[in-house]
Amino acid sequence: MLSENEIKILEFLKRKGEAHVQEISESTGLPVSTVYSNIRLLESKGIVKIVSEESKKTFQLTAEGTLRLENGLPEDRLISILNGKEMSIKELKDLMGKDFDLALGWARRKSLIVLENDLVRPKVAQYASPELIGLREVSVGKVPSKETLDILIKRKLVEVKEEKTMLVRLVQDVKPRPVELYLTHEMLVSGSWKSVDFKPYNVEANPPFFPLGKGHYFREFIEKVKDLLVSLGFTEVSGNFVETEFFNFDMLFQPQDHPAREIHDSFVVEGQGRLPDPNLVVNVREVHEKWWKYSWSEDNAKRLVLRSQTTSVTARVLSTKPKKIRSFTIGKVFRPDAIDATHLIEFHQLDGLVVEDGYSFRDLLSTLRDIFQGLGIKQIKFKPGYFPFTEPSVEVYGFIEALGWVEMAGAGLLRREVTEPAGVFSPAGAWGIGIDRLAMLFLGVKDIRDLYSLDIEYLRSRRVI
Amino acid sequence: MPTINLNKWVLQSLTKLNEQELQDFLFRLKSEVSPINQDDYSIEVNADRLDMLSLGGIVRAIKGISDQEIGEPKYKTSETDYVLEVDRVPSRPYALACVIKNAKLSPEFYLKELIQFQEKLHDTIGRRRKKVAIGIHDLKKVEGKIIKYTLVPLSTTFVPLNQQTEMTVGQTLKETQQGKAYGGISVFNGQSPAIMDEKGILSLPPVINSDRTKISVETDSLLIDVTGTNFDSVVQTMDLIATGMAELGAEIGIVKIKGMDSEFSPLMKHTEVIANLNDIMNRLGISINGDDVIKLLRRMRMEAELQDDKIKVTVPPYRVDIMNYTDIAEDIAMAYGYDNFQLNSAITRGQGSLSENSLLYRKLRSLLIGAGYTEVYTLILTKSGNQRGDFVQIRNPISVEYDSVRNSLVWSALAFLSNNQHSRFPIKIFEIGDVVIKDDKSDTLHSNEPRLVVAMMDSRVSYEMIQAPLHEVLFNLTGITPSYIKSENELLIKGRSAEISLKGKKLGIIGEVSPEVLEKYNLLYPVLLAELNLNTLKEAL
Repeated sequence: MLSENEIKILEFLKRKGEAHVQEISESTGLPVSTVYSNIRLLESKGIVKIVSEESKKTFQLTAEGTLRLENGLPEDRLISILNGKEMSIKELKDLMGKDFDLALGWARRKSLIVLENDLVRPKVAQYASPELIGLREVSVGKVPSKETLDILIKRKLVEVKEEKTMLVRLVQDVKPRPVELYLTHEMLVSGSWKSVDFKPYNVEANPPFFPLGKGHYFREFIEKVKDLLVSLGFTEVSGNFVETEFFNFDMLFQPQDHPAREIHDSFVVEGQGRLPDPNLVVNVREVHEKWWKYSWSEDNAKRLVLRSQTTSVTARVLSTKPKKIRSFTIGKVFRPDAIDATHLIEFHQLDGLVVEDGYSFRDLLSTLRDIFQGLGIKQIKFKPGYFPFTEPSVEVYGFIEALGWVEMAGAGLLRREVTEPAGVFSPAGAWGIGIDRLAMLFLGVKDIRDLYSLDIEYLRSRRVI
Repeated sequence: MPTINLNKWVLQSLTKLNEQELQDFLFRLKSEVSPINQDDYSIEVNADRLDMLSLGGIVRAIKGISDQEIGEPKYKTSETDYVLEVDRVPSRPYALACVIKNAKLSPEFYLKELIQFQEKLHDTIGRRRKKVAIGIHDLKKVEGKIIKYTLVPLSTTFVPLNQQTEMTVGQTLKETQQGKAYGGISVFNGQSPAIMDEKGILSLPPVINSDRTKISVETDSLLIDVTGTNFDSVVQTMDLIATGMAELGAEIGIVKIKGMDSEFSPLMKHTEVIANLNDIMNRLGISINGDDVIKLLRRMRMEAELQDDKIKVTVPPYRVDIMNYTDIAEDIAMAYGYDNFQLNSAITRGQGSLSENSLLYRKLRSLLIGAGYTEVYTLILTKSGNQRGDFVQIRNPISVEYDSVRNSLVWSALAFLSNNQHSRFPIKIFEIGDVVIKDDKSDTLHSNEPRLVVAMMDSRVSYEMIQAPLHEVLFNLTGITPSYIKSENELLIKGRSAEISLKGKKLGIIGEVSPEVLEKYNLLYPVLLAELNLNTLKEAL
């Protein structure tokens, strides 16, 4: 099969028998380089023969060479400006501009001047350099002496061009078939495809951009975490962002004057929520007043905040008095903080809850081990911790190759002061894991803001894990 | 978590432990230690262990867990002739005092450490001095043995700590740094609470001490006053300070109290917790015999004895965090070592489930991705200037960029597109997520509402370019053919805006965004958009 260009060349050769590449280029209108590549193809197919190949060197002035031919070489100009008298460097610099350094260099190399302090003294009154004569020769197509030519090339005043030429002869007559761009339905119906050739595509070139539909990489990570929890026997639950302090704090046994309840630690929303079942409220009041020894206020408990922990969802689950449950929730929590590469004012927590007869602290540690193993963190250690709503409490540290031990979760058995007011009398374990930080470790993200990137090219560039 | 700084060499010599050992034992006591310079450690103490905010307390706890000294220490106490007379101070009714003899305040590190403990107690149990405040005086500079806690007029004069000249109480509250920070807390009827000796004001709780009784490295006996609004917290604070000092070798001098329920101070309050051993073992999931439990508790510096199948624990005055048997269980676990729990083999296994919403989202996501749309995930908090309609305004935002909760995903999508006008076109995105709407039926007056936004931006767009894929997605998800009713929406170009419905239920809107809206978001390319309420979609399923 022959391309359109090959056919053009062959048609010309059929008339001429043999021809030079330049001739073929002129008459077909194809660039010389295209003719070359097509001749090579035709030769490989045995259709043409390359009779002879030769190359010829020609010399041409460079842009600078042309300029120098017109205005003189810098050292020539220097001598002419000096005109037999000495002048200061500063004066010469002002006269010659950026050419001065060049002129000085060449004039010294050629011993045309002497430098004394900041004075330039000429050793000759006049000077015409051989380079200038060489330039003149090149400009009219003559070849200067080899010595001059070498200097001109070195000074980048003249460049060498190598021109190839090739004599080609047609050796085999071929009848070209029509070339088509598209194979069509009609061709297949009529069978005309049998007598045509198809234009080859540049199959090796990179394609144009294609907008791919793609899941968000952080959402995918969250879905994986959900799958893990489901595989461990947990049922997903969820809650609202706007929450009463009752569920965000009071039910979790956080006294109303606890520093974590101060205004700068949660986002406040206008309005007053409603309290749940009066029995629950009375019970919560009782444990607060008994153990924290203050007068518990319903008004404080009704205040609305953006939940600062997903443990509020756990509190709501408890308020349904489950006898036995394994639940989890992954969702956003909100906390006032300075925004930087590792802090945002909203981020995800994974909160889990187990209510089960006979569930012990050891079972809780084992559950945490299962979760972290499922997440791919094989090495963990437990540190005693403190949360107002759990006792015993534990902080889980995971080992990450590049970082060492990293705090990953807080957990504990819920205090009876939390479960019993809600009407839950079996032991209950609970934990919270910061998901954003974990995702950053797994996804190689250095800046937490990239998890919520507004740059589509960044999302397009993320590898799917 | 509160952090304290302690001298490395003093801590190492008092505990006879090197840095690595200190790190290991403090880890087991919920704390973390890290060197901050050649001579000092920074120690993070967990918020419940107020006793460990002092050098004495930390040393006591470490000696126990490292098995050097166990059980409750016996501190030297003695009677004194000092009397604290407590008048009625309605704004800050409770006051206690004690005398400390042979106080160790030298070298200077010890003095600094005592002041640090005082400040940390102010910030924690004291709730920034509102609930409890502490005054520490050089006993030798106190005149007479009768100390009074009373209200004084604002015109009373004294020299406040670190001031050169006499000032009135009123001036002190207005002009000194501490006065400005804490002055308003306890002033009552134009009077301020004061601790007085025969000569005048010793301290102005909770604001400032007098300069007259200032302590220094030469001080060896102290008068300490604690005042507050909650009796139990005042008692605990007094006990924490007294036992902290005593651990370093001081003697606790008892002061008589008049005008309060308690007749002397410090109370050195012990409480008893009686717990069923079985309950504790069940809670922990381990099995240790009663004698060993007592040993573990003594390592946590508590005394305990067995009573049949129960254990009676005497909680010492410095363990103000212990409430009941769960706290005892934690201390046993800590002494036992969390690392020594033999974990059960995989105790969790599957029969869990995803929420209805998660299941729906997964189907929607896969269909939309199949339609060539890229999922985006943006923040819930946004600039109120970008929103329309009713939305939740945050009362204490930290930045105007995030001063409200989004009530629609449209704002997120438009902001996203606006940020990507130099990216490769076409840009086709979707987001599934919650918005917050007002809802009187909810006990929080608001509800999350799951939404879907689908949007497309290109140099030229036409309605079908978004209608066609969304139509197929909805049909494949529900098996129902959506219908479209021409409607007007201020976001969309008139005549290019419709409501999408499924079985007569209005799901949301679809159309081409109006140039006015594009302009507001600095968008210079046309945008197609649809937003659906996924609760309604679920109802149609």
